[in-house]
Amino acid sequence: MEKAIELIDVRKHFNGTHAVRGVSFEVLDGETLVLLGSSGCGKTTILKMINRLIEPSSGVIRINGKDILGQDPIEVRRSIGYAIQGIGLFPHMSIADNVSVVLRLKGWPEDKKRDRTGEVLDMVGLEPETFGPRYPDELSGGQQQRAGVARALAADPAILLMDEPFGALDAVTRNVLQQELLKLKQTIKKTIVFVTHDIFEAFTLADRIAVLHEGRLQQIGTKEEIISAPKTEFVKDLLLRPIEQLKDFKEAH
Amino acid sequence: MPVEFITERLPELLLRTREHLLLTGVSTGVAVLVGIPLGIYISHRLWLRPFTFGLVGVVQTVPSLAMLAFLLALIGKIGVVPAIIALTLYALLPIIQNTVTGLEGVSPDILEAAEGMGMTPRQEMRLVKLPLARPVIMAGIKTAAVISVGIATLSAFIGAGGLGEFINRGLSLADTRLILLGAVPSAMLALYVSFAISSVEWGLNERRRKNLGALSGRPGLLLSLAPLAVLFLIGGAGTLWQAGPKGAVKIGSKNFTEQLILAEMLAQRIEATGLSVERRFNLGGTMVCHEALAKGEIDMYPEYTGTALTAILKSETRPTDPDEVYALVSREYLKRFDLRWLKPFGFNNTYAFAVTEEAAEKSGLRRVSDLRDHAPSMKAGFTSEFSERPDGYPGFRRAYGIEFGKVLDLDPSLMYDALKKGQVDIIIAFSTDSRIPGYRLSILEDDKSFFPPYHAAPVLRAGVLEEFPEVGAALAQLSGLIDDRTMQLLNFEADQKKREVAEVVREFLEGKGL
Repeated sequence: MEKAIELIDVRKHFNGTHAVRGVSFEVLDGETLVLLGSSGCGKTTILKMINRLIEPSSGVIRINGKDILGQDPIEVRRSIGYAIQGIGLFPHMSIADNVSVVLRLKGWPEDKKRDRTGEVLDMVGLEPETFGPRYPDELSGGQQQRAGVARALAADPAILLMDEPFGALDAVTRNVLQQELLKLKQTIKKTIVFVTHDIFEAFTLADRIAVLHEGRLQQIGTKEEIISAPKTEFVKDLLLRPIEQLKDFKEAH
Repeated sequence: MPVEFITERLPELLLRTREHLLLTGVSTGVAVLVGIPLGIYISHRLWLRPFTFGLVGVVQTVPSLAMLAFLLALIGKIGVVPAIIALTLYALLPIIQNTVTGLEGVSPDILEAAEGMGMTPRQEMRLVKLPLARPVIMAGIKTAAVISVGIATLSAFIGAGGLGEFINRGLSLADTRLILLGAVPSAMLALYVSFAISSVEWGLNERRRKNLGALSGRPGLLLSLAPLAVLFLIGGAGTLWQAGPKGAVKIGSKNFTEQLILAEMLAQRIEATGLSVERRFNLGGTMVCHEALAKGEIDMYPEYTGTALTAILKSETRPTDPDEVYALVSREYLKRFDLRWLKPFGFNNTYAFAVTEEAAEKSGLRRVSDLRDHAPSMKAGFTSEFSERPDGYPGFRRAYGIEFGKVLDLDPSLMYDALKKGQVDIIIAFSTDSRIPGYRLSILEDDKSFFPPYHAAPVLRAGVLEEFPEVGAALAQLSGLIDDRTMQLLNFEADQKKREVAEVVREFLEGKGL
C-alpha cells in the first residue's frame, strides 16, 4: 500500500520545552492510525504539524510523497479534513453553513454546495432538513460532534485528522459515535489520524496504534501486536492500568 | 412652555435638528470608516495597542471647547468642518476600542478550527472574527453616536449650527425655555439614534430573526434599516450647507446678551443700506471670534478695547487712558491682522465695584476710595477670575491699599443675587450688566483709574470697507451712541424682560432716528 503520510525524525520545541523529540512513522493509504497517550505526550502537536497549524522545529513531513513544508499551508489545510473536540463549530452560522464553509472557501457553486452538504449530513446521521437550519447551540453535544465530522468530510478530503472529537461526550453517546465512525470508515475509505487518550477508543477505532509518551514514540503496531508484546515499561503500564483499577475497585467492596 | 413659543420656532427647530443630524451622522460615519479598519489593524499588532489607545484616549480627555478652539486655530475655519473633525475624533475611541475588544474576544478554539480548515487570515476575519465581534463593535458605534449627539450641541460655539444653537442662545439670554428647546430634542435624538442602531444590529443578526416568518429573510433586514434611513432622510439633502441665509456681510458675536445686541445693531444698520447680512452670532468667546475674523470666516464683530489689549495683543504696556488704549489696539490690529477698529459705541463695560443703592446712601459711598474705612468690615463677592488675575484683586489691593474683611468666590450669575439678598456687601460687577439697574445697584467710581478701559467698538476686516463703502458710513452713525446707562437698559430689556433682541434693537435705533 501507498504511504499517505510520512514523518521522519520530527521534533518540536516551544521556548525550550520539548514537545516532540524525534518521532518517525508512516500512515498508509486508507488506514486509521490512532495516536494514543496522556495529555502532554505530544500527540496533538504531531497532529497539528500534519496540517501545518504548527511548524516543526526540524524533520520532514510528507503527504503523498511530497514535503508539505514546501507547499502553501492554506492549500495543505484545504486538502485535509479536520475535526476537533468541543466547540469547533462556528456559533454564528447554521449547521448547514458550518458544514459547507470549506466548500465556500473552495468556491463551489451554490447548488452543488447544498447537495453535498445534505449528503454529508445524511452520512453522519443528521437529517439535513431538520438540522441544517439550526444553530450549533440548539444541538446536543453528540449532534454537534456529528456536525463537526460532517464538516471535516464535506470537501471529500483523502485525509482526515481528528483531535479527540468525542472527548467531551458522555460514555453512551461516545460509544454510539465510535461505532458509527467505524461503519463510516468502511464506506468512505479515508486515511484517518485520530488522537485520543482513551485506550478503549484507540482499540475500537484503530487499524494501528502509535503510543506516545513525553514526546517520544513508544511503540507502533496493531492492537494485537501491542497487547502481546509491549515494547516499553510505559506501554506495559498503559495496558495494565485498567486491570489494576478494576482490581482496586473489587477490593474496596 | 407656551405652545406658540414652540410653533413660532418650529421651522428653525427643524433646520437645527437637520444640522445636528448631519454633524452627528457624518462624524460617526467617518469614525466607523476609519475606526473599524484601524481596530482590525491594531488587533493584529498588539504592540500598537497601548500606543493607539493612549493617543485616542488623550484626545478624548481634551475638553470639547478647547478642541473646537484648537481646530479653529489649526484649520482657520469656523462652522461645519472643524465641528465634524472634532466629533469624529471623539467618536473614534469607543469604535476602535470595541473593535479590538470584540475581535480579541473570539474564542481561540474557533479560530483554530477556522485556520485548520484552510481559511486565509482575510477569510478568517471576514467569515468568523468580524461576525462574532459584531455585537461588541455595534455597541461601540452606538456609544460613539450617542456621545456625538451630545457633543454636537457644543458645535454652535463655532458657528456650526445644530440644536446647540438654542442652548447657546438660551445661556446667553438666561432663557430656560430656549435651553430646553435645544436640550430636549437633542436628548430625544440621542435615544432615537440608539434605537436606530440597535435595530440595525437586530437586522444583521439573522439568527435572532430566524423564526419570524417573513422577517427572517431580506425584508426583515430592510425593515431593520428603516429607523436609520429616517435619520438619513431628515438629515440629508445637503441642508447643512445652506443653513441660514447667505449674506454679503457676515457678522459674528460672542455668546452673551450685550454682544448679541451690538451685533444685531450692526446687522440692522447694514441691512438698512440694502446689503444682505449673514448672522453668525453666539460664537464661543473672544478667541473663536478673533480667529474667525482674522481668517475671513466673518467680516466683523463687536470687541472691547481692554480685551483686545490683554487677551489678543497680550500687550506688556497697559495704558489706562481710554483714547490711548483705543489708539494702541487700532494701530496694532491694522499692522498685525489687517483689521480695522471703527469708532467705539461710547460705553465702557469694565469691572466695577457695585453695592446696593441703600448701602451707598447710608455709608456715603460714591468712589472706590470711599471704601477705605468700611472695607475691613465688608464681605466681598468676586468671580474667581477677578480674585486671581494680577490686574484683579491683587493689583487692586496694591493700587488702592484697600482690603476687604472677607472675600467669597462666586459664579458671575450668582454674584448679583448674593448682593441683592444681602449675603455679601459688595461685588465686582460688569459695568453694563442689566442687573445693575434691575437690582437697584450703585457703581463706585474708579477714581484711581485702576481698571483698564473696555470700550466696545466694531472690529472688521479692512477689505470690507473697500468692497462695501456704504458699510463704513452706516456704522459711523453708531459711534458714541450708547453710554453706560443706555447699554445697561438695553441689556435689561433683553435679559430681564426677555424681549427679542432684534425688537429691542429696532426700537432703540428708531428712537435715535436711524
